[in-house]
Amino acid sequence: MPVINDIRLNLKKNDVLRRQGFKGYTRIRPEIKTLVLELLESTESTRLLEPTTAYEFYPITGMEPDRVLLQGGAVVNGSLLPSTFPDAKELAAIVCTIGPGLEKQVTEYSRGGETLRAMLLDGIGSAAVDILVQETCRFFSGEASKRGLQASSPVNPGMPGLPITEQRNLLELAHAGDIGVSLTSSGVMVPRKSTSMIIATGPEMKTWTQAEICARCNLRETCPYTVLRS
Amino acid sequence: MAKDLCKTLADLKEDEVLAIVEEKLKAGADPMGILADAGRAMEIVGNRFSKSEYFIPDLVYSGEILKKINELVKPKLTEEGGAKTGGKVIIGTVTGDIHDIGKDIVVFMLDVNGFDVVDLGVDVPIQKFVDTIKETSAPVVGLSGFLTLAYDSMKQTIEAIKAAGLRDNTKIMIGGGQITDEIMNYTGADAFGKDAMVGVSLAKKWAGIK
Ligand code: B12
Repeated sequence: MPVINDIRLNLKKNDVLRRQGFKGYTRIRPEIKTLVLELLESTESTRLLEPTTAYEFYPITGMEPDRVLLQGGAVVNGSLLPSTFPDAKELAAIVCTIGPGLEKQVTEYSRGGETLRAMLLDGIGSAAVDILVQETCRFFSGEASKRGLQASSPVNPGMPGLPITEQRNLLELAHAGDIGVSLTSSGVMVPRKSTSMIIATGPEMKTWTQAEICARCNLRETCPYTVLRS
Repeated sequence: MAKDLCKTLADLKEDEVLAIVEEKLKAGADPMGILADAGRAMEIVGNRFSKSEYFIPDLVYSGEILKKINELVKPKLTEEGGAKTGGKVIIGTVTGDIHDIGKDIVVFMLDVNGFDVVDLGVDVPIQKFVDTIKETSAPVVGLSGFLTLAYDSMKQTIEAIKAAGLRDNTKIMIGGGQITDEIMNYTGADAFGKDAMVGVSLAKKWAGIK
């Protein structure tokens, strides 16, 4: 099953700092900036980040108001896909992870009482997933254009119209087990620094920016990680 | 003359803070006085955080400096003086949820603010909360949870605490990414905290600490 594991994550300082809950980048204390950079370096020298993506393309055989029918008999439930991508030809079921290394280190820091390190490294992990998603999307744009199509921006279970209960289905469709991602009985992906998504391809597919996602999110007023108030 | 401990700590100048504390201790200053100054500084830090002048990492950084002060001061304290003054707080991520970093930050901030924290970890079974309240008689319980499903676990945990006859003597706060008033009412908790600092303020309020 297709797996991409040669993705290079070029983590930039600002991406990382956004995930630490800083709103004005200029007011970050030098001690904390230094620690972030030190931790960032440690992710390069040790095997804390092992970015991998598993995916599978599925031709669409039917669209109904609240589900999409795929070749081979699979179904994706929810109104988000049919309403957002009515002209889609294919869906890619995708799961990305940075692996278990980073979160193990976070737990170790936390248990050792190094809470600041733990939270900063955790934020680096979240930023790494963001970049992994961006790089994965770039890959799918390339794949789509090879077929004369366009790739959409990704949608995730948990978004309105794509229920979180679709998680198990999506993980199976993407063969997440091939990259070591599984789901707990309550529906949490392990490793935790993982994300699942669907990209639609077709003649003209919708795309959007992070700012547009933040503007529509129900947490937009309070979220410390929004890109809207910096 | 030694610089002002309270101001230096509020400004998060770690090296200077530790030098001041060492100097004061060498000069025979009252260790309880040092801790009182540090307490006032933490209040200023909390205010700056609520005005968005400081961010969560700054808050945790202030806690780490405070922890180092405590380590320097501890050997000079009488047993009574060194005891945790805030009372017991039980905290854990509810059953079905395994997110830990947010909860760990709350645990840390409660700990450095003088609370005796019993951290039950993540994916904590409902009965574990009930048993620990019975064992410790902790007056404050914190439930953490991220996912929508966590709200049901929180509700069930609070119901079980009630069914065990422990609810009247226990104040319960909840927290996690997207908790609102509505979710708080749904779960039956007494309050919710959007961040670790609110968690500390609630615990202080309930423990009768100013
Ligand atoms: C970063 C992030 C990610 C990262 C990292 C996740 C991780 N667990 O490490 C990545 C990109 C991997 C991710 C993935 C997913 N995510 Co996400 N993620 C977030 C985000 C933006 C921040 C979470 C975070 O790391 N916070 C950092 C810590 C430090 O903060 P915290 O835990 O909130 O804790 C603070 C406070 O809440 C409070 N607190 C916490 N506990 C307590 C307890 C008490 C008593 C008190 C008083 C206070 C308190 O104090 C803490 C410190 O101040 C949130 C949105 C948000 N703004 O919260 C969504 C969010 C949690 N994710 C969400 C979703 C849907 C997902 C995915 C399912 C998406 C997908 N399909 O892939 C996956 C699931 C991953 C999995 N393992 O199963 C939803 C969950 C909604 C739901 N329906 O359940 C959210 C709320 C986004 C949203 N707008 O809908 N996610």
